[in-house]
Amino acid sequence: MVELKAPEYLLKERMERVEKTIGLGEPDKVPLIIFTCGDILRKYATGYELYFNYDKAREASIRFVIDYPTDVFLAALAAEGFIFALAFSDYPDIAPSVRFWTGPMHDTLGDKYTKWPGRELPEDSIFQFIGGQFMDTNEYDKFSENPVAFVNEVILPRACMNLEKPCSSRANASLIRLGFEVSRYLKFLGDSAADLARVGIPSLPLTFAYAPLDFIGDFLRCPTGALLDVRRHPDKVKQACEAMVEPIIKVALSLKPAGAKYAFIPLHLNEYLSPKLYNEFYWPTLKKVIVSLYEQGIRSLVFFEGWHDAHLETILELPKGWGVAYFEKTDVKKAKKILGGHTCIMGGIPPSLLLEATPDKIKEYVKGLLSEMKPGGGFILSPGVADIPRAVPRENLVALIEAVEEYGRY
Amino acid sequence: MSNREEILNKIRDAIVNLDIDNIQRLCEEALKAGIPAYEIVMNGMSKGMEIVGEKYERNEYFLAELIMAGEVMKEGMKVLEPHLKGGEVKKIGKVVIGTVRGDLHDIGKNIVATLLSAAGFEVIDLGVDVPPEKFVEAVKEYRPDIVGMSALLTTTMIEMENVIKALKEAGLRDKVKIIIGGAPVTKEFAEKIGADAAARDAVEGVNICKSWMEQK
Ligand code: B1M
Repeated sequence: MVELKAPEYLLKERMERVEKTIGLGEPDKVPLIIFTCGDILRKYATGYELYFNYDKAREASIRFVIDYPTDVFLAALAAEGFIFALAFSDYPDIAPSVRFWTGPMHDTLGDKYTKWPGRELPEDSIFQFIGGQFMDTNEYDKFSENPVAFVNEVILPRACMNLEKPCSSRANASLIRLGFEVSRYLKFLGDSAADLARVGIPSLPLTFAYAPLDFIGDFLRCPTGALLDVRRHPDKVKQACEAMVEPIIKVALSLKPAGAKYAFIPLHLNEYLSPKLYNEFYWPTLKKVIVSLYEQGIRSLVFFEGWHDAHLETILELPKGWGVAYFEKTDVKKAKKILGGHTCIMGGIPPSLLLEATPDKIKEYVKGLLSEMKPGGGFILSPGVADIPRAVPRENLVALIEAVEEYGRY
Repeated sequence: MSNREEILNKIRDAIVNLDIDNIQRLCEEALKAGIPAYEIVMNGMSKGMEIVGEKYERNEYFLAELIMAGEVMKEGMKVLEPHLKGGEVKKIGKVVIGTVRGDLHDIGKNIVATLLSAAGFEVIDLGVDVPPEKFVEAVKEYRPDIVGMSALLTTTMIEMENVIKALKEAGLRDKVKIIIGGAPVTKEFAEKIGADAAARDAVEGVNICKSWMEQK
């Protein structure tokens, strides 16, 4: 269904719709937001093209939103690279620009965290974040003393082949090249946002933060290592998490002068932890980050990966209207019973539905879901950042968009 | 309670309490007391893993505890393995397991493998990113009762179908039961690709495998 409205009008209408919802209000229609790391865009370009050729990536995004217009479309055609942002957290002009890690940046520094199509992977795949163990348990103290210094001086040389020997000609040249690449990437981001605006799709003014324990699991100790450390070195883990709070907040605030309003925080280890461990090791420092940002005018958009059911109540410890709770597997209806009126809820569309159901089934599902989620506002419909697989049939995505049109009006 | 029983109970409890720092010492003590290694595995550690599994089902334990218990068991096995003579432990069945091609998620697969070993299966773990050919080769070489596959990505799920096709082509499909698992996997999907079962979690997976062996 095509909305016959001028792009400038649509842009404003959609942004207002989303902002009103995040502010716990009832908009004119339930907003639909699509996040992707590229899988669905492989309908228009190969994985390699998406991540290494900015022109092709722009073209794929624009074709996608013309085929499938939603309230916000967010393509993060780059891998998890928060460690680089943390490394530069004292430099607000640099930190946010290296927060996501692109294919060409991978070429430049030779990081071991990621694998890319046309490099370590077949041409037409999506990039992969692999992570790994780059720190030993006996290094926690050093890390906690000064996480930023430790990451720069010890972790990055271990994790990036071209930075192996700090201050070497090769390492320095790589950093200069990284600078060039960052300029190209920033231009691409700006151009892409302008492309979307031209067809009436707004971009969320995002900045980025992280849960400290996830930082340990993703970049320092691997997920299993981090979990074992929680058991064997509980105090060290807590100390390290505390030490990261300040630099993480700095990274998030670095984009505030440029107008950023929402800090995107993807969680990973949340579902692994029992309430006891979650409340002891994970939540306290994450909560500090969220609350501190809220007090400084930045709301958070937290992707609660996996099942977050056991920890739903803790969200109520945050100030009302703190931001958006974006759920992956947790039933949003159940979440609403606990969080309704306090927290904007986002999610509701499992990838298996888009993949396996028929258009009619999808409409029926959305109708049922919205009948419960719509009243009172504060709900954004979205598939997880888990990605919409390329294999999702066109008619299913169209059915999703039409269903919001049919059943999402207030 | 005999001394023997007491030691085995301590080992069981070390697994249940995730006591990674004492498991090796306890296993050594058990060996010194003359308890055969296989008995320590079956009546100590495996009993512990069983309880861990039950606690997980009851939401008393979470993934972190399942993973930690697996690591505790691994530590214990380091001490016991040299004392386990081939054939001494009576195995209830043989499973070839792996994460399919293109997929590197192994936390879930490792839990399943650990619980299967604890339940008395001989487990041949092919690791991650396993291409169909490698599954076929392993089935030829080890003649397992069961093939287990894990996938966490919607982009790699389809590899499971490729493995089943490859097994069919090699004439091996009817020789094995096939179980699949991983977050995106559903019963409907299992049916569609011709697997025998899909497991929601590791405990259910092990129960399915056990029930197949009982029917044999
Ligand atoms: C044989 O019989 C059986 C029987 C039962 C079986 C079985 C087999 N196998 C499993 N089971 C069952 O028993 C287990 C215990 O009960 C269960 O196993 P599970 O494996 O389901 O559960 C585990 C015990 C715990 N769960 C996990 O271990 C997965 C957790 C999450 C956070 C996750 C992790 C940890 C990782 N990841 Co990845 N990762 C995510 C996950 C999000 C989430 N919270 O689910 C998921 C799965 N990852 C995803 C993605 C996209 C990716 N990951 C990637 C990488 C990684 C890490 C390496 C960082 C790490 C894996 C570490 C490792 N060694 O395994 C990349 C791919 C790498 C690759 N080629 O595989 C990458 C592509 C990210 C990227 N763009 O770089 C998403 C998949 C989306 C989709 N639907 O396709 C994802 C859902 C995250 C998300 N929300 O976007 C049951 O399913």
